[in-house]
Amino acid sequence: MTEYAVRITRLQYTYPDGTKALEGIDLDVRTGERVALVGPSGAGKSTLLLHLNGVLTGAGTVRILGKALDGGDLREIRRQVGMVFQDPNDQLFCPTVFEDVAFGPLNLGIPQGEIPARVDKALRDVGLEQSMRYRSSHHLSLGERKRAAFAAVLVMEPAILALDEPTGNLDPRNRRHLIELVGGLPATLLLATHDLEMALSLCQRLVVMDRGKIWADGDARALLSDSRLMEEHGLEVPLSLRGH
Amino acid sequence: MKHSFIDRYAALDSPLHLLDARTKLLGFTVLIGAVLLVPPGKPFAFFAYFFLTAALMGISQVPLTFVVARTLVILPFVLLAGLALPWRTGDGWTLFSTLLLRSTLSLILLILLTNTTRFAELLRGLRKLGCPRILAMNLGFLYRYLFVLTEEVMRMRQARDCRRVGSARPRAEMKLLGSMLGTLLLRSFERAERMYQAMLSRGSSGDFPILAPRRFSWRDPAFLAGLGLFIWMAEFLT
Repeated sequence: MTEYAVRITRLQYTYPDGTKALEGIDLDVRTGERVALVGPSGAGKSTLLLHLNGVLTGAGTVRILGKALDGGDLREIRRQVGMVFQDPNDQLFCPTVFEDVAFGPLNLGIPQGEIPARVDKALRDVGLEQSMRYRSSHHLSLGERKRAAFAAVLVMEPAILALDEPTGNLDPRNRRHLIELVGGLPATLLLATHDLEMALSLCQRLVVMDRGKIWADGDARALLSDSRLMEEHGLEVPLSLRGH
Repeated sequence: MKHSFIDRYAALDSPLHLLDARTKLLGFTVLIGAVLLVPPGKPFAFFAYFFLTAALMGISQVPLTFVVARTLVILPFVLLAGLALPWRTGDGWTLFSTLLLRSTLSLILLILLTNTTRFAELLRGLRKLGCPRILAMNLGFLYRYLFVLTEEVMRMRQARDCRRVGSARPRAEMKLLGSMLGTLLLRSFERAERMYQAMLSRGSSGDFPILAPRRFSWRDPAFLAGLGLFIWMAEFLT
């Protein structure tokens, strides 16, 4: 097994309109490590995640499980990096939940005979009933859609999970379910979030991003307790870490 | 928000639901074609097709009230199109009643087709019948994202209404509508970008692979043969 799941060196990315989204990012994530990316809106968190499977390609190098993104093995890298988008409506584009979950395995050339069982397992793992298999995703509640989007990624059995604001717009119960679900997964985790309590409960390591740069990288509890650091980057110390 | 889905009753389990989507697409297309080709002044042929449509509706288990309600939504547009016909000299009323009968029967048949086949299966059937991949894909996206766009429009309207007292002047209203449409277009464009990124993330190379659950059975040729026989009888015996 490779020591590092993700190795990013001097990554820079500028959007076509000229906005500099990432400026000289260096980040190494060990296999099995759980890292939270926090920072204000527009910090570059989502842009960074989109570089993990080559959807965006900036200057610099990105290596996933030892393989360079520009090495021509993009198909294998996309199988290894499961990307869950902020808005499940962006991710669920097939007519039924079943087809959405099966979309990844079909593209990755997994034998057709294996796919229904894998889809069923993924739906079970995220707590979606089998009756939802043939429902259209616009029949689902937001919480169910988020779970279906998760299932669509888990079915590919990725080694690395990249989650972009997974708890955004979720009610407390669905948020708790989602945190439990992610907490029980063995994959290396990169979590871009504004939900600092979730970052604290799921990740040992925290990376503070702002204006396309990394400003702090270290123990999640220590960094989240640093009120000055939090304030400087538009964040707040989570309630659970505030002195009473 | 509650949506009105075109395949609301497609999850039922009637003999018509069990047929392959290709069979239904072919059968209903031919049947609608036959109805549209019935010449004016042939009431027995219309009666025969009406009987067949009623029988299909009964077999399908799709509620009559639903079919009638859906038909009534679209029928006024047909009436509007044929409004001038009765004033034609001679065969005006015959032409008008023919138009009305053809449209009503075709609409009911289309409602039956979409409510006995899941939209996904219809698309799959279209693909297998030779419909270009890009067209089927776009139809799928249109159906999937129509509801998302509708919700976005509703939210924009609510936001507008929350900040407005009374009604605006028509000119101001048009200006506002224009900017709302522009915003909607930009948002749709951005969503399309994110969707494409999500597709790439799951290994897509632009194609839409299919996992087909339903296959042809003895019912399919039997249905098509029965339909063909009925159309032949309606054409030549009435």
